[in-house]
Amino acid sequence: MIEENDDRHLRETATTVEPLTGEPVAVRSAPPPASATEGSASRRTAAQDEFRNESRAFATGVAGWLLPGLGHALQRMWGRALVVFLAVGSLVYTGASMRGNVFTSTGSDAFDYLGYIADLGTGCFYFLARTIEKNGADVSHAGGDYGTRFLATAGVLNLLAALHAYEAARGRKA
Amino acid sequence: MAASMANAMTFSHFQAFLFFAAVISVSFGFLGRRRPNDRLKYILWSFFLFLLVGIGIGWVMYPFSR
Repeated sequence: MIEENDDRHLRETATTVEPLTGEPVAVRSAPPPASATEGSASRRTAAQDEFRNESRAFATGVAGWLLPGLGHALQRMWGRALVVFLAVGSLVYTGASMRGNVFTSTGSDAFDYLGYIADLGTGCFYFLARTIEKNGADVSHAGGDYGTRFLATAGVLNLLAALHAYEAARGRKA
Repeated sequence: MAASMANAMTFSHFQAFLFFAAVISVSFGFLGRRRPNDRLKYILWSFFLFLLVGIGIGWVMYPFSR
């Protein structure tokens, strides 16, 4: 029966390698860790750290989606946070003021659902848009149509910013 | 730039186009670049390309508008 802490396979070994030309060379393998249990413990800790970092990054991304710019603000990227907040906010305010269509979940076709998903991308500003637009949408004029596009653009832009914040929180170059 | 008419903010086509191009260019510049100089170059270049492509597409559609 093999014991659980049998680390014979990890012992330092010397192997003779014969190169294509010249004398044979002795190559030493890297020394093993102090013990197998210590190695598995460090692996567990690394996995826990990775899970914690991933969870934190995910929470940062969700925060950035719910309130535009918050994902970057949590990482002290103040310039980006301010720009995202102002850009999404101004697009939503302008779009709603131009009486663009703020889509709801009760859409009649696929385009309405797509518009709803895009509008939801603005996070809490979606409700702001519905509050501003008291008289409802009016897409019979070009202004209303532009407003609809502004609102959808604000949502997609905020989703992009949230994804950027998530990647930055994961430690990717951003 | 914007005038109030029938409880709605109104823009001309070109004003809406400029507003959209400016907001998106600034956002992309800040998200895509870190250094201030790089950001400024990116914002200006992106804004210029928005104008170029938008006006270019407008002229391409011109013959079909009448």
